[in-house]
Amino acid sequence: MLDTTTPVASWQDVTVRYPYQPHVSAGPATMAILPGERLLLLGPSGSGKSTLLQTLTGLIPQTVLADVAGTVTLFGQEVGARHPAQWASAVAQLFQNPEQMLCGMTIEDEVAFALENQGLSEPDIRCRVNAALDGVGFSSAQRSRRTTTLSGGEKQIVALAALLAQHARLLVIDEPTAHLAPAAASRLRRLLMAAPATQSIALVDHRLDGMLGLIDRVVTIDGTGRVVDGGEPRGFFRRCRGMLAALGIWVPLAAELDAALAAAGIVLERPPLTMEEAIDELVALPQPQLALALAVSRSFMPRHCFAGRDRGLPGEPVAVLSEVHCAPPFGPVTLRGVSLAIRRGERLAILGPNGAGKTTLGATLAGVLRPRHGRRTGALGGLCLQNPENQFLTATVRDEVLAGLDGAAEHADELLAGWGLAGLGERHPLELSEGQKRRLALAAVTAGPARPLLVLDEPTAGLDAAGEVKLRQRIADLAEQGRAIAIVTHDLDFALRACPRAIIVAEGRILADGPTAELLSDQALLARADLEQPAVMVLGRWLEQGLC
Amino acid sequence: MLSTLHPLPKLVICCVWVMASILIFDATFQLLAIGAVAAALIVLERRSPLMVVALMVPFALFGFGFLTTSVLFRHESDYALRIARETPFGGTALSAGLVLFLRAIACGMASALFVLTTDPGALVKAMMVSWRLSPRIGYSLFSAMHLTRDMASEAQQMRMARAVRRGRPPRRIPGPLEMASLVVPLLAYAIRRASRTAIAMEARGLGAVPRRTVFAAPRYRPADLVFAVSAVTLLVLAAGIAGSAPNTLSKIVSTCLK
Repeated sequence: MLDTTTPVASWQDVTVRYPYQPHVSAGPATMAILPGERLLLLGPSGSGKSTLLQTLTGLIPQTVLADVAGTVTLFGQEVGARHPAQWASAVAQLFQNPEQMLCGMTIEDEVAFALENQGLSEPDIRCRVNAALDGVGFSSAQRSRRTTTLSGGEKQIVALAALLAQHARLLVIDEPTAHLAPAAASRLRRLLMAAPATQSIALVDHRLDGMLGLIDRVVTIDGTGRVVDGGEPRGFFRRCRGMLAALGIWVPLAAELDAALAAAGIVLERPPLTMEEAIDELVALPQPQLALALAVSRSFMPRHCFAGRDRGLPGEPVAVLSEVHCAPPFGPVTLRGVSLAIRRGERLAILGPNGAGKTTLGATLAGVLRPRHGRRTGALGGLCLQNPENQFLTATVRDEVLAGLDGAAEHADELLAGWGLAGLGERHPLELSEGQKRRLALAAVTAGPARPLLVLDEPTAGLDAAGEVKLRQRIADLAEQGRAIAIVTHDLDFALRACPRAIIVAEGRILADGPTAELLSDQALLARADLEQPAVMVLGRWLEQGLC
Repeated sequence: MLSTLHPLPKLVICCVWVMASILIFDATFQLLAIGAVAAALIVLERRSPLMVVALMVPFALFGFGFLTTSVLFRHESDYALRIARETPFGGTALSAGLVLFLRAIACGMASALFVLTTDPGALVKAMMVSWRLSPRIGYSLFSAMHLTRDMASEAQQMRMARAVRRGRPPRRIPGPLEMASLVVPLLAYAIRRASRTAIAMEARGLGAVPRRTVFAAPRYRPADLVFAVSAVTLLVLAAGIAGSAPNTLSKIVSTCLK
């Protein structure tokens, strides 16, 4: 019989302060995770979510130095009573950056590592490794691949398989879907959903659509790191939507539709967590209310979907690839025969599954990576790299943006404040949280010299809602100024909102090129490219059917 | 075929051949050693003969230094040559340079055979299982191997970031100044990466139990014994041939030069 009252983990008045930092980085936090509970920790970038999770097994302060006040207990024991490694049999952790997790040489070795450390028998390890890799969709042929040859998304999938293979009583997962293509993210969610009822999960993630069915309770942290509110997700998102928006935290699209309907006087009986649930509720409405709900939904669509057919400003393209073969440095050719042009003022989304070669195509389009074959014409573009850490070349946050502003110091503070980085100017860029690093990289690149083309690689990974809004505004402004923007992304909702045109990369080539809304409503194409229809398109399809 | 063998007997055999090449100061033996390694790579491993010859080039350049030193600076190298003569199976004055030249190739090729036919991961695992190598050291080696590959990609990313900031595409091959400017950032990256990996290993329980399992470690098979016996027999035969007609090749070369 499962004891559901004694917490598996709890934080009591916990605060964390890193060395040489004047302010507390996380807390004061008081919360608990009950047996079998799936807890989602929400908060803006830099609020200390990852820090709190790392105090759970004592990694902070035993391995990563910091002052921790308050009490953290795990399975009824104070966490400091054991060495962090000794909690590994009970707590499986997935860090934000999958690169940090890789210790072995091949995919199999990676998944087996934690099990070897527990001293399990080899047949048992073999069995668990196979089950975990089958679950995440790695074929037997791929399992002896070296992890150094994998793309960022593939590394994240391997790290997840390693986590699941541990069969730990508590899973601590930090942004598991940040680098995953939608279909891979769905597969992961299904795997987490299938976790046994005895397994508890503490999760941090920004991409909520599709994730909330898994969650029992939500806890929110504000920008200063304090726990401010929480509750069961349905009621919580209806009750706290305004607060979440003010804090710059993501809200599921269905909750936004629920709020729009409520503003029009329609209160759905059951607060929806997914667009499918919202549609079920709408269908059940009586006729006069249904007509109004349809009108509200139709006006809701354009806010989340770029409906136009904007093909950029007239004139010569700013960059053209002609019959190009793209390959990463020191790697094999990933895309063949690519012909692509992007015009002034155009916004182009580059979509595709993990490992399809999107990043390589982006770098080739920007002109920083030479094609193996074929020709690129056009001036050198700007590039915001997938891993923001690679982008930082100076010692402070302020210097990083100043390098882009050509020394116009008076604008630096304004720019940093605009990106939610006020007060961090003197910090080293690598001291920032993952979300803050992303914002800094975007701030520096988009404020930089006026290049005719900017390529942004996974700009929304780790970004909170406020950061995404700022990014969309900035992209729109830059396009207005006549600059072309290409965005490599897994975030199809963002692509829909920000880019009128998209290309889908898969099967070693460009599979499709056209208006984003059209491509993302083509179910057959999406299935072929291992993508999934974004939530707003589900509503769009229902509205179209309704209109018919 | 050699790739499927257990790494440790292969390592021991290669070390024995290297030691034999150092101790048996005879050109015929060195030639036989080079021939045996080349034949193993071409016949058993299906490597292209051209590749095997190309593989010898760096070792030959290294060995060429010994040859020129002993031929051109014979008087200055008198002491070294005398020492060479006094080694077991030692050779004549002129032949010393030739033997040194061939020895550099033979030792290099034996090492190359091991490197080309051994998975580094399997070697570390085998050492953890059979030679009680500490997992902390073993996994540090794993990470170091990862890091070496990732450094190249990291350097490329840094070059891209700099190119974007400078407004000029990166050169195809970085110049010496650019290379030098990458050293400190790459060192910082390596330190950062190593600390993160250490944290990840800790979080995943490295060192939590006194005796850990090693998954999919290489196992000894009869083929390893066959290989070891064949390699030692071949070594004895080669030494025997060299011993039966000591310095034949050197004498021929000396005669030709005279």
